[in-house]
Amino acid sequence: MEAVLEAVRRDQFGRNNAGRLRREGRIPAVIYGQASAAESVAVDPKSLLRILHSQGGANTLIALKLEGGGDLRVLVKEYQLDPVSHGLLHADFYRVAMDRVIRVTVPIHLTGEAKSAKAEGGIVDFVHRELVVECLPGDIPESIAVDVTELMLHDGVRVRDIATGGTWKPVSDADMLIVHVVAPKTEAEPAAAEATAAAAPAAAAEPEVIKKGKTEKEDEKA
Amino acid sequence: MLMPKKVKYRKQQRGRMRGLAWRGSSVAFGDYGLMSLEPCWLTDRQIEAARVALTRGIKRGGKVWIRVFPDKPITKKPQETRMGKGKGAPEGWVAVIKPGRILFEMEGVSVVEARAAMRLASAKLPMKTRFARRFGEETLS
Repeated sequence: MEAVLEAVRRDQFGRNNAGRLRREGRIPAVIYGQASAAESVAVDPKSLLRILHSQGGANTLIALKLEGGGDLRVLVKEYQLDPVSHGLLHADFYRVAMDRVIRVTVPIHLTGEAKSAKAEGGIVDFVHRELVVECLPGDIPESIAVDVTELMLHDGVRVRDIATGGTWKPVSDADMLIVHVVAPKTEAEPAAAEATAAAAPAAAAEPEVIKKGKTEKEDEKA
Repeated sequence: MLMPKKVKYRKQQRGRMRGLAWRGSSVAFGDYGLMSLEPCWLTDRQIEAARVALTRGIKRGGKVWIRVFPDKPITKKPQETRMGKGKGAPEGWVAVIKPGRILFEMEGVSVVEARAAMRLASAKLPMKTRFARRFGEETLS
């Protein structure tokens, strides 16, 4: 689960230079961590996006080939996306020491189909989709599989029910609910009278206005 | 219809709708979402109409989240009134939507069902929209 990414040092900063860099097909990024000074670099967004969309996602260990420097082992700590196109705008890389335990957020994947969904019409409610775990950088699990096949209505799986791999341990609260099966909510058809009332303009329905200044009682006391 | 329970002031100035939705622009609760591609004022009635279309579209099963709330009061002057004499009476509530904003989210249904339901919901909305998925599950172009 290790990817390779090339990076070049950059010495121009600020919004205008970052915009110029993006138009040239690179994005600004920063490397920090392990008590070394932060370094500003530029990387290819397509390569990084491919890594982020891979099985390991943001937890993929990256061998960063820095121009004029050696290889660095980094993890993507943070990334910024364009709100509409979801293209990468900026990335933060965190230097990792391979012998030091780190905390990472690992995605949870559900496996199987809950028996309750067929038998009782229950809905699988995936409450928490990620788990914070502690492990060595080389042992980061790609994902944590949770089997929901045996779940019946109102049954759930909590963090303490998950089998740890041995190389990692969960940091999230042991009582945290990950997934449970709930009864489906059915929406009743509104009655004809209610429907006409709802269709009428609700001019009368105005919210309460929070009054400013002294209330009447306070005025009397004064 | 959605509206605030309490407000500080009954009327607001109109404001602008510039820029992109830098918050609320990723699918956060469910598996699928409906993303706005244009800025607009989304009224409480439009939100309700889209929600009904969405829940009827998935028939049974599934869970729906509404990611926007109409917290901006809109006023209107009575018909055949001359200009002036103050601001009109509150008439409804809108949510200010910017491009990139996730309006609704859904889980517990297949992609095909979700797409079909979102298409029905988007017909009730005044702007262009796009079907969205969680980051990492989107197809790379």
